[in-house]
Amino acid sequence: MSSVDIVLAGLLVSALRSAAPLLLALLGECLTQRVGRINLGLEGQMLVGAVAGYATVAATGSPWLGLAGGAVAGALLSTVFGWLTVAAGANAFASGLAVWMLGLGLSAYLGTAFVGVRIEGFPLWIGGLTPTVALALVLVPLTALWLFRTRSGLRWRAVGESEHSARALGIVPWRVALSGIVVGGLFSGLGGAALSIDITRTWAEGMTAGRGLVAVGLVIVARWNPWLCLPAALLFGLGEALALRLQAADSAVAAHLLHMLPYAVSLLVFTLTCASLRRDPRSGGAPAGLRAVFER
Amino acid sequence: MSRSAVRDALRGLLLFLVLASTFFLLIGRDPVSMFGAILTAAAGSGYAVGESLVRATPILLCALATLVPARLGLISVGAEGQLYAGAIAGTGVMIAWAGPPPLLLPAVVLGGMAGGALWALLPALLRNAAGVNETISTLMLNFVAALAVTWLVYGAWKNPQSQGWPATVEFPDIARLPTLGDSRVHAGLLIALAAAVLLAWLLGRTRWGLGLDVLCSNPRLDSVTSLSLARQVLLTMAVGGTLAGLAGIAEASVVQGRLQSDLAQGAGLSGFLVAWLAGNRVGRTVWIALGVGALLASGDGLQMSERVPSSVTLVVQGLLFVAALGAAAHRDRGTRHV
Repeated sequence: MSSVDIVLAGLLVSALRSAAPLLLALLGECLTQRVGRINLGLEGQMLVGAVAGYATVAATGSPWLGLAGGAVAGALLSTVFGWLTVAAGANAFASGLAVWMLGLGLSAYLGTAFVGVRIEGFPLWIGGLTPTVALALVLVPLTALWLFRTRSGLRWRAVGESEHSARALGIVPWRVALSGIVVGGLFSGLGGAALSIDITRTWAEGMTAGRGLVAVGLVIVARWNPWLCLPAALLFGLGEALALRLQAADSAVAAHLLHMLPYAVSLLVFTLTCASLRRDPRSGGAPAGLRAVFER
Repeated sequence: MSRSAVRDALRGLLLFLVLASTFFLLIGRDPVSMFGAILTAAAGSGYAVGESLVRATPILLCALATLVPARLGLISVGAEGQLYAGAIAGTGVMIAWAGPPPLLLPAVVLGGMAGGALWALLPALLRNAAGVNETISTLMLNFVAALAVTWLVYGAWKNPQSQGWPATVEFPDIARLPTLGDSRVHAGLLIALAAAVLLAWLLGRTRWGLGLDVLCSNPRLDSVTSLSLARQVLLTMAVGGTLAGLAGIAEASVVQGRLQSDLAQGAGLSGFLVAWLAGNRVGRTVWIALGVGALLASGDGLQMSERVPSSVTLVVQGLLFVAALGAAAHRDRGTRHV
């Protein structure tokens, strides 16, 4: 094959597979930010999800149980963020970083036993897709329909817009906020597990390499809309798939440049969002409660 | 310290001891002996103290880099990226240097500081021009800078003699900051401490420091302080970037001897939380940075003496920050107005 063939063969499938773990985390963070919270601890939750999922598969041999284990681990760690921000009222950014750090440490500690351990992941379906890709793709419409078309979705959005008004409607804001955080933890843990079980099929310390933080930025790119999370995640997946292929085609240098793309694009779109918000505070689709976090 | 601050600190310490002890019990270790082992590994010998100080140096500089903009109410998490940018710029000066050899060291150090400052100006300019939240922009720029290092050490700056290991050529001895005796403790620590003293004076005793406090409490008062908010955003970020850039070039030139990936070892993140825990007070920042540096440096010793993975110290660090944030949280409520 020529090097162009190596770079392009099956690119969309690879992009989808690379994007799936990020898409899961992205949907979770989307819900968290919709209730007016921003959780940088996502990175740590993905890491504990990745290690817990990997450990579960190594112990039971079932990748499905592994996904479940990862989701539970992510949700558990997110309760720390919930406790810090909702119950104790600590600053969201600092709490997120503390949770990230804790997750980094915990996953590195728990993962020591699994460095170099081999597991059997999901078998490939026709076309090279796997159940985690399907799961992530199915969750996009489910999340969007739930958020925009159900009563409980409306209550979550109400809390994200104004805790004050939500309280007047008889909603208990802290309960909704905590749910948003824990569901975010569940999704990000699932994403971490999808990464270790299905994509890399190995465990390595700090293996999420900033995916969780990119997710926080991409939620803004996706305008807090689950539907738009799919193209946002695909952008990242495409960049990563291209980078891997360029490496295989002996263009490692260009590949490293390409790795910067998702971060640079996130920053660019975030800048445009902020600029339009400055002109018209009601544009941009940001939950009003979140704006209070950003604009000081 | 006010009485409430002391109460917060005690409550945080207690919570930390409970959390860390629980963690040690869960992994089947005796908490008392583990705390003892951490102390021994961090400060039990001259060598251990030296390694603790080496580890604490970039954390202190990154904490100061967080603290200066924070005095204006900015939440910058960009110290890590500024550290990488400083390392890149300083290394670039070293590689391209054609001037007289005695000037190489100052040029490398100044290059590192300038690199960090320029990288920090980017989020400051974005904030001034388009109201871009500096926390998110610095977070993204951290990754861009870290990946730029990877790109350089795999590509243009790769040392052809390093046999596949992605790193630049080594810094010549004349381009390295002097070290203390046989240890790896380097002049960067002295510069960091001097910077801390200077900052404590500037922030606490001058009109400028007072002006920052006023602007932080209410940005609309810039006419009263004769300080322009936009200009102070640029200045405080650049000062912070200078310090983080110094940390970067010191790590690359003295501690690791060359530019390579993963140079920061999380110093930016630790530094952010150190500054936060210190309530952005310079004196407390120094002590907490030294303590956190010692804790992280104890990891290797623990691995040998207690046969636990060195990542135990990462968990303990995380628990320390969670405990302190939880204990001091009520103090944060409604204190920030910028």
